[in-house]
Amino acid sequence: MSTFFRKNLLPLATLIVIIIFFLAAAQGMNSQDFVITLLRGLSVGAVTFLVASGFSLIFGLLDVLNLAHGTLFMIGAYIGWTVFVRPDTFVDLLTPLALALSGFTLRDVYPLLSDRIRLSLSMKRILPWALILVSALLFILVLPRYPIAGWNLDNYAQSPVTYSYMADQGTRLPPPTVAFDQISPALAIGGLLLVSLLGSFGLSLFDQSARRSPQLTWRSYASFVILLFIGLITFIFNDALTNFLLGLNANWLFFIAVIVATLSGAGLGALMEMTLIRPLYSRPIYQLMLTIGLSAIGVQIVQAVWGRPEFIMPKPTLFNGSGASCPATNFSSWWQGNCSTILLLGGRVRVYNEILIPIIGVLVLIAVWILLQRTRLGMIIRAGVQDREMVEALGINVRRAFTIVFALGVGLATLGGALAAPSMGLSNAMGESLLLDALIALAIGGLTSYPGAALGSLLVGLIQQFMIQYGQIGISIPFTSLVLKPTPPIVPASTVLLMVIILLILPNGLLGKKE
Amino acid sequence: MSSDIIIETINLSKHFGALVAVDDVSLKVRRNSLHAIIGPNGAGKTTFFNLLSGNLEPTGGKVIFKGSDLTGQPVHRMIHHGIGRSFQITNIFPNLTVFENIRLASQALEKYNFKFWMNASRLERCERRTWEVIEKVGLKERAQALARTLPHGDQRKLELGMILAPDPEVLLLDEPTAGMAAEQVPELLALIQEIQKTGNKTVILVEHNMNVVMSVSDIITVMHLGKVLAEGTPAEIAANKEVQTAYLGGLYELNV
Amino acid sequence: MQKKSSSFFRNHRASFILLVAVVLLPFIVGLFEGASPAAVWANQGGISKFAEGLGIEIFILALYALSYDLIFGVTGLLSFGHAMFFAVGAYLTGIALKTFALPLSAVIGLVFLASIVQALLFGLVLPRVKGITFALVTLGMASVFHIIIMSSELGSYTGADVGLQGVIVPSFINPANERLRFYFVALVVLVLIYLLYQRFVNSPTGRVCVAIRENEGRAKMLGYNTFAFKLAALMLSSFTAASAGILHALYQPIVSPNVADLSFTVTALLIVLIGGVGTLSGALIGAAIYRLLDFGLRRYIGENASFITGAIYVAFVLFIPYGIVGTWRAKSFRIAEGWRRLLAAFKT
Repeated sequence: MSTFFRKNLLPLATLIVIIIFFLAAAQGMNSQDFVITLLRGLSVGAVTFLVASGFSLIFGLLDVLNLAHGTLFMIGAYIGWTVFVRPDTFVDLLTPLALALSGFTLRDVYPLLSDRIRLSLSMKRILPWALILVSALLFILVLPRYPIAGWNLDNYAQSPVTYSYMADQGTRLPPPTVAFDQISPALAIGGLLLVSLLGSFGLSLFDQSARRSPQLTWRSYASFVILLFIGLITFIFNDALTNFLLGLNANWLFFIAVIVATLSGAGLGALMEMTLIRPLYSRPIYQLMLTIGLSAIGVQIVQAVWGRPEFIMPKPTLFNGSGASCPATNFSSWWQGNCSTILLLGGRVRVYNEILIPIIGVLVLIAVWILLQRTRLGMIIRAGVQDREMVEALGINVRRAFTIVFALGVGLATLGGALAAPSMGLSNAMGESLLLDALIALAIGGLTSYPGAALGSLLVGLIQQFMIQYGQIGISIPFTSLVLKPTPPIVPASTVLLMVIILLILPNGLLGKKE
Repeated sequence: MSSDIIIETINLSKHFGALVAVDDVSLKVRRNSLHAIIGPNGAGKTTFFNLLSGNLEPTGGKVIFKGSDLTGQPVHRMIHHGIGRSFQITNIFPNLTVFENIRLASQALEKYNFKFWMNASRLERCERRTWEVIEKVGLKERAQALARTLPHGDQRKLELGMILAPDPEVLLLDEPTAGMAAEQVPELLALIQEIQKTGNKTVILVEHNMNVVMSVSDIITVMHLGKVLAEGTPAEIAANKEVQTAYLGGLYELNV
Repeated sequence: MQKKSSSFFRNHRASFILLVAVVLLPFIVGLFEGASPAAVWANQGGISKFAEGLGIEIFILALYALSYDLIFGVTGLLSFGHAMFFAVGAYLTGIALKTFALPLSAVIGLVFLASIVQALLFGLVLPRVKGITFALVTLGMASVFHIIIMSSELGSYTGADVGLQGVIVPSFINPANERLRFYFVALVVLVLIYLLYQRFVNSPTGRVCVAIRENEGRAKMLGYNTFAFKLAALMLSSFTAASAGILHALYQPIVSPNVADLSFTVTALLIVLIGGVGTLSGALIGAAIYRLLDFGLRRYIGENASFITGAIYVAFVLFIPYGIVGTWRAKSFRIAEGWRRLLAAFKT
């Protein structure tokens, strides 16, 4: 025990100093304000943690500074919103997505096919381009004619804001019926499938250099068949599925929305890693440029698809009640009234924001911790963070671990986005500020340390919220009668200053490993 | 007699937490000798070396160089005192040419490092010295090649050239033959010996390759578990029973 | 000597042609719109004046990117707070001219001092933190500066979140009336500093900076006090960025607080990456491409421009990984390799 203290003297001393500052400053606060501020801090800390932990895992294992992480967080929020508020659009999107992806699962089959074709050299050069061109043309032809229930961005009555407002009131707008009127269903489905097959075949033809003997397993066909199956099923039962989702209890729908956001984030992450990040492992600076570029693209895509205005996401009904018995005084009365707020030590606490989100944050913390400590993958990740070359030398497929970690990291970010959407609201700028917070949190806690990410996020959340609170009530400086009222700019400045001070004392953060 | 000792450590020790890597080592190195330090893996050779060269700060004890205490001096001052050091893992500027690598090394002791308005290629003394060293280590044909494109043996030569360039009195060589093809080793050893003899230099060498040490060194110090186990001429060391049991353990054959 | 100078001209023929072209540019543009060189000289051409304005912006950006290339590309320090160097120059100039009505020479002196002070401020943390941590600490410092200039308490000086407006520019260089002169002043400053940088990189000091980028530990072992060299590079860089800031404050009607933002540092990083890291001339070319691309896309495509800009960056990273100048020097275009990289996902 004493060696533990001696070894961690500096981090412990820093923590103690921070705590003393807290207590000294908190003396002027009544318990009601204190509890609320504490819980708010926890809530912000939990959301920051979801982004920061993914970022830290990715940076630790892959050495990639994923500056697009904030944008991915935002995308998670928007996906969650879509599933929750417009399940019809979500269902409509499933079929084209499954079909478009299906072709790429056949990548092992293509080399066999291209071996069969005997072509002149010039034709071989032209063929891939031609295929991709045809595929792109088909795509442009088919997709706009494929009926996807959307909204007219120019028409205010049809804008996303309206939908979420209605949903917040408890009624979902009936989905405008969209049918196949420009194209026959079979043609649309066949067209999309053809787009995917031609496109992926064309892309695979570029890769003439590395021709391995293809090992055809049932897997390469099975995933294709499964995707095709999903695409067709969702197509056939489109209306039924939509009605089912619309009829669902909003709590379940919210749950589904969060899950979908997380999974699609993971898929997006895996795709990003495999196509864009993987070629650049040897050149870290270019990863920076790439992720910056992706971040800009992501924001633009969101703007183009969902439109500009900031909009709200309703809370699930479990946390949205405002009946006669609200605010609830204890948890059983909350359960009965589904109140949005609860009285805790005299303060009104929002159940969703300040109780549910911290709880989920802690659950994720524990889950990922178990994943890291108790599973084989976790062992590979931890070893890889320590010494990647060594793990590679042991013949472990680190590449796959890379993809999984990237997927996991992005999935955590999108989970955070979907969860934070009801409390933060959605806007195109929500990712940027959160990324900065997460970076600060990581710098404080230690860039590649998982517990450090948790500690740093907690500190950032608490300090921010306490500073906001002090801005209203003022800090009484100990032993004097002075009262200091921090102005709003001090809120971001306080965490930044803390980061700078801590980095100057401990260049590797509070819990970062020493070099 | 004391002026005969160029570098001396007094009770030098280094602890990493609970691990004692170097334990009370007192060592005297005579001027113009080729002094080898050997020992099994984990004997603390490289740590001891890092203490000598200032890369690590000792937990206790002193390093005396020519009568003055060097303990705790920053790394970049060492060469100014006349101590140059090479590394076990090739440590060069990979994306610069061989010439540039050595020129940088010979420029270090000059007075014009902060003349940012003049062209570096106009520094004639520096230029001359660089060519001298390149010729000495036998890399003249490859002077304009990028350092990372050199084969491993040539990189070791380059590394040697980089510590020769500022013309230090003491050369600390950390396994200079590490990773070299067996047939290249004698060539490099001859080079080291020649440099030591003709330039009146003191060479301290860390090695695990017994044959290397036995044939070239004047004095050998055997380290084991952070302590000095024995010291003497190659013949004495080869005859030392304690060394044979503790270190050699029948794993290495002695061809003396 | 005669022989030497002729070979010097031959070696740098392309640069000279480019320089002459840039000098003549306002007049040539003037000819296209039917304004005689004399009219352009008297600042009467409309389009040529506009082109001059675009040119000035490019020169300022190039100066700024050049300063970033020195610390990032040459010395190997990744800083996320570089925008602060620029913003301090811009804001100090604006405030000194507007609120305190100092003469321009005094302003330049003041900015020079301030740039040294902030280089020392960054230098303060240099021995303690390295790599990405240095980037984060500098980001922190720049964020604090950004917050300070955004704060409403100092609004009467800095203009808070609106930005600094109404800077009284000395009439002999006023961009509204004497734009051509401003164009040439900016060009001369750029060329002089570029030559100084070329000199610096090939000087003993600059070579050590390159060595620090390549392998700092070894540079230390060779006997260099690397801290001093990094500080020297930081100072030169800080001064250059601050000079770009002076020009910016004189040229732009509003100094927006965005110039102290992280995104402005990222701009410098992108320019340097487009042009080629550590090549110096890449910073100039990159700045021109960046500004023209931004201008062209905004003009012809409109709001969605940054989507395309983002896509272009990604394409750059994949297909022209060493930047324009770096790829040019290597004489190898890696288009095919880029495709192969993109398709590496298909292999496993």
